[in-house]
Amino acid sequence: MSKLKQWRSRRIKFRQTLLSRYLLIILFAFLFIPIIFPLASIIYIILNQQSNNHDTDYLKYGSTSALTAMLYEEAAKLDESAAPQIDRKLNELKEQYPDASFFWVDASGTTRLQLPQQKKLPQHWTPADAIQFMKDHVDSDPFTVVAFIGPNKAGPAFIVLQVPRSITRQATPVGSGTPFYIAFLFIMFAFFVLLSLLFFRHIRKRLLQLQIAMTIQGEDGLPVPIKWHKEDEIGQLEAAFNDMVSQLRESKERERAEEELRKSLIANLSHDLRTPLTVMNSHLYSLRNESLSAAGQAAVKQMELKIASVGSLMENLLSYTLMTSGRYPLKLEQHDVLRLVRESAAAWYPLWEQEGIDADIDLKAEKLLWNVDKEGFRRVLDNLFQNVVRHAASGQYIRISTGEHHSRTALVISDRGGGLNTSSSSKGAGIGLAIVDYLIHEMQLDWQTDSSESGMRITIFPK
Amino acid sequence: MSATLLYIEDDREIGSFVCRHMQEQGYEVNWVMSGEQALEAAAGCKLVILDIMLPGLDGFTVGQRLKKAAPDIPILMLSARTSIDDKLQGLQFADDYLTKPFHPDELTARIEVLLRRTGARNSEPLAIKHLLVHEQQNLVENQDTGEEITLTGKQFHIFSYLLRHLGQIMTKEQIYESVWGESYIEGDKTLMVHIRYLREKIERNPAAPEIIETVRGIGYRIRA
Repeated sequence: MSKLKQWRSRRIKFRQTLLSRYLLIILFAFLFIPIIFPLASIIYIILNQQSNNHDTDYLKYGSTSALTAMLYEEAAKLDESAAPQIDRKLNELKEQYPDASFFWVDASGTTRLQLPQQKKLPQHWTPADAIQFMKDHVDSDPFTVVAFIGPNKAGPAFIVLQVPRSITRQATPVGSGTPFYIAFLFIMFAFFVLLSLLFFRHIRKRLLQLQIAMTIQGEDGLPVPIKWHKEDEIGQLEAAFNDMVSQLRESKERERAEEELRKSLIANLSHDLRTPLTVMNSHLYSLRNESLSAAGQAAVKQMELKIASVGSLMENLLSYTLMTSGRYPLKLEQHDVLRLVRESAAAWYPLWEQEGIDADIDLKAEKLLWNVDKEGFRRVLDNLFQNVVRHAASGQYIRISTGEHHSRTALVISDRGGGLNTSSSSKGAGIGLAIVDYLIHEMQLDWQTDSSESGMRITIFPK
Repeated sequence: MSATLLYIEDDREIGSFVCRHMQEQGYEVNWVMSGEQALEAAAGCKLVILDIMLPGLDGFTVGQRLKKAAPDIPILMLSARTSIDDKLQGLQFADDYLTKPFHPDELTARIEVLLRRTGARNSEPLAIKHLLVHEQQNLVENQDTGEEITLTGKQFHIFSYLLRHLGQIMTKEQIYESVWGESYIEGDKTLMVHIRYLREKIERNPAAPEIIETVRGIGYRIRA
């Protein structure tokens, strides 16, 4: 009992509940859009920032467009006729951009200052050379900028700047982090799905285990208590189930004990009543051996009969009490009832002979299989046969036969007594017949009595 | 006739009456009042009459112990406990069960049947009508002629089965199953045929049998 109360009184902490875990998952789902997306973006930006800082080391001359703009600007400031000024400017630029190479071509198409000297350049430029040069250097390495000298930017003199692409291009191009960003979101999403899946799979597994455990029956036909795992809602369910099982067991135990008590009470009562009857009987027996008058002998005989009838009345009464309180369990099995009838009749036959009752037994040779409790059916027959001896002995006849009832084989017991209405010298058949009625119905049988002045006919048949 | 009976009964009135009655019938009775005493007194007795409600050890326990110690000694339960459970429990080890109040003559008859069944009284030949049966020697003698009657194995089995249940009606199924050791098949004429031959050997007039009596619709019996 104390264990039970322990179960009942145990309250689980909120953080141990399945509800709390479920809420956590839901919270996670809610936070997915407002938190995970911005979070991912922030991480992305920070990472980008860091990698950008790194990139600027590479772009030491700025981007290609910045270089182009710078060269255009410088070229616009120059005068194409002032060659020494242009040379000086190129030297300045060379100092500023040591990795870049420069040269310029004057209005007559002659290549002038080259920093450094380049072998491939034509000494004198034709229009075809210029076009070829431009074609060769579009989107190629080195990165090439051509700027016409002079404020008009119309040539024909021009400056050329060439920088290796490695200097102007970033190691990581813009937008290269986007796949990581998507992958991160995807991983977070997959993590969420996995988390939910595991959560429900876990619950499902435990519920199934619980269901299996609940269907297992112990030796006593009751479910077996479940091993108790966790202190959450399912754990509580398990505990409640165990609680129920032990309550069932207790009540069954109580019922059994009650049954035992009642049985032993009745057995003791029967014993206590029968013992004095036995003593009386023994004294009567002694008395019979004395020299008594005929009337005395008759009185002794009568008393003996009464004692026997009180004994059997007691037996019936106590049995009936047991039966009607459901303490007389019947074990219904297929039995050949005709065999039981023959055996029972064999036991009664000597008494019938003694009472001068002519027994006419006419049973079919084939088996008659009914679902009966062996002892219960014997008891029915005993009570019916005893009834004939007690109440219909005047007819001097009993017939036990097989007959038909609604085209099914039935058992028929008939006598030639006065039927139910005769005032028999030994009353008290009620309880015996009540037992017959109870047992017959408990064995899924039915019976019918036809009483007339010429006797009684009892038919027993399956329902 | 002086077989010794061990009688265990704690009620003085019933005990002294039964003792006197059985002594009148020619038995020696050793009456004890408790189960403990019974276990000590069991040696040498031919049959035990046992009550259930006893002080100390109850009758079921005493009976089981007696049966374990001496399986051949028949036990007759004589009890005021009439419930079927008690009877079934008792008959797990006991050979018979009689409920109180009982008729003294019934007690005597049952004791005789038990003693005969277990062979305790077989030393004396049994006289039935014109026959003298020496059960121990498997011998049947016709007193009219003084001749020995030879029975086949099955015939003798049937005859001695009915003799063991003298005065009781045995059904065809019971006889067949005991003698042949297998379950009876409806409509089987084997038993009838054997009984007809048996009657031809033992009855004065097989057409009107006196010894093996047919109880119509039930079975057969040999009257005591």
